[in-house]
Amino acid sequence: MISMTLYKREMKGSVKLLVIFGAVITLYVSIIISMYDPEMMKMLDSFVDAMPELMAAVGMKANAADLLGFMVSYLYGFILLVFPMLFCILRGNALIAKYVDKGSMTALVAAPVKRRTIALTQLSVLLSGILLLVFYITILEYICAGSGFPGELDLSALLSLNFGLLCLHLFIGGICFLSSCIFSDTKYSIAAGAGIPALMYVLQMLANVGGNAEKIKYCTFFTLFDPDGIIVGESNAAAGAFLLFAGAVVLYGIGIMIFDKKDLYI
Amino acid sequence: MNAIQIENLIRDYGGGKGVFDVSFHVDHGEAFGFLGPNGAGKTTTIRHLMGFIRPQSGKCTIDGIDCWSGRDKVQARLGYIPGEISFFDDISGTEFLKFLEEYRRIGTCSRKAELLERFELDPTGRIKKMSKGTKQKLGIVAAFMHDPDILILDEPTSGLDPLMQSRFVNLVAEEKEHGKTILMSSHMFEEVERTCDRIGIIRKGRMIAVDSAAALHERHTRSYTVTLENETAAEAFTADFDGVRSGIRVTVAAKQSLEEIFMNYYGGDKNDQHDII
Repeated sequence: MISMTLYKREMKGSVKLLVIFGAVITLYVSIIISMYDPEMMKMLDSFVDAMPELMAAVGMKANAADLLGFMVSYLYGFILLVFPMLFCILRGNALIAKYVDKGSMTALVAAPVKRRTIALTQLSVLLSGILLLVFYITILEYICAGSGFPGELDLSALLSLNFGLLCLHLFIGGICFLSSCIFSDTKYSIAAGAGIPALMYVLQMLANVGGNAEKIKYCTFFTLFDPDGIIVGESNAAAGAFLLFAGAVVLYGIGIMIFDKKDLYI
Repeated sequence: MNAIQIENLIRDYGGGKGVFDVSFHVDHGEAFGFLGPNGAGKTTTIRHLMGFIRPQSGKCTIDGIDCWSGRDKVQARLGYIPGEISFFDDISGTEFLKFLEEYRRIGTCSRKAELLERFELDPTGRIKKMSKGTKQKLGIVAAFMHDPDILILDEPTSGLDPLMQSRFVNLVAEEKEHGKTILMSSHMFEEVERTCDRIGIIRKGRMIAVDSAAALHERHTRSYTVTLENETAAEAFTADFDGVRSGIRVTVAAKQSLEEIFMNYYGGDKNDQHDII
């Protein structure tokens, strides 16, 4: 089904990015969790009082109830959305479109390996990266919360929260993978693969500000990831995560099909 | 069944570019030279054979297997040197060849060591830093090391020095002796003349001649009979010009080189001239 030789080569190519994003995420997650402190909460709440639009735009809301609520407010609005998204964009583009653009795809297709196998292998590299990142985030959060505030973190809620996060990033990865399969030019592959998720994120920020702009939330897939809903076990939130997951699978399927059928001018 | 068969292949890129109704075949164990200036459609035709692009109309088969729908089966027996070598430039040549061996599942029957020696190639450096000629050698090793039955070579000697070009020509001749089928595109008349049984000439996407190299020569041979003053002069003339003497009359034949033949087909179009030389 997949070529292990190619998978190993590509995973080596993912390591550097994974380490960089892992380090950045470690920094933010550990600092923000250590900031959880009722006194500090008051200060952050005062920021929210002072500039509610700005804080809401990056997903920070006042009066987060407990540690997990605090994490949702300060991590799941920006940091844990944007960094894995950057990983999807960079890797997604490099896995197919860059090879075609530079012509080195020749070495991969001029061999008795089906194009579907090549595409599936590259997809599994992307998915492995996303899985590793979300897995690492979960472990990191569990360790930071457990060492700083023993017994305060609801593990099963954290797991379902991060499962939702995983679905979101699988979907973003699907967009990047599909655009990488469609375009033979890195320029356009990046434009679509980075542009669409970034635009959606900006719309989400606008919608968060509230007021009339709130209707924008129907235009962005980020709405389907509802961290507050997931931790309290709302069925709508679970449905949203499921939709993202199903959408991701569809995007992967279309991407592989397009790569299988397309003309390669290499 | 022919080893390589192209039937009425059409791919129109617009603006007169592409290939139009190209048909030819290559027999088993035959070396076929595919000549044409830049932009004539050589690489486009080869991309169809490799299964990189789908014909708009017409058909390409290798050993009876369709080059588009059965491309992975076709690829198992194919060796390919791309017209423009562009390998993974983030790794060394050694790593690249090792990757290909594993990726193609060549195993122990690899001819890598022998080929590296033949072309005096040291693949330890990063591909990115390699010169054009070194990359070309790496491409040759990569194409031949799995000992394929059918070789599709797109301008295989570009960037090689004359010594390496002649080693390459020898390699191709040896492979032909071993019964391999070879399709070689080129605008180098020398190598095609020396290695190929038949030659096809393509221009502006259309095949303008397909014939054996010998027949192309014969068709373009002219002979002259010269009458000299005396027998001594006739003898000297015969020796100098490689003619046939009868009395004071000497017949000499002027063979046009393939290059001149080529120019005959192309001569009318000034735009092509600069490409040919």
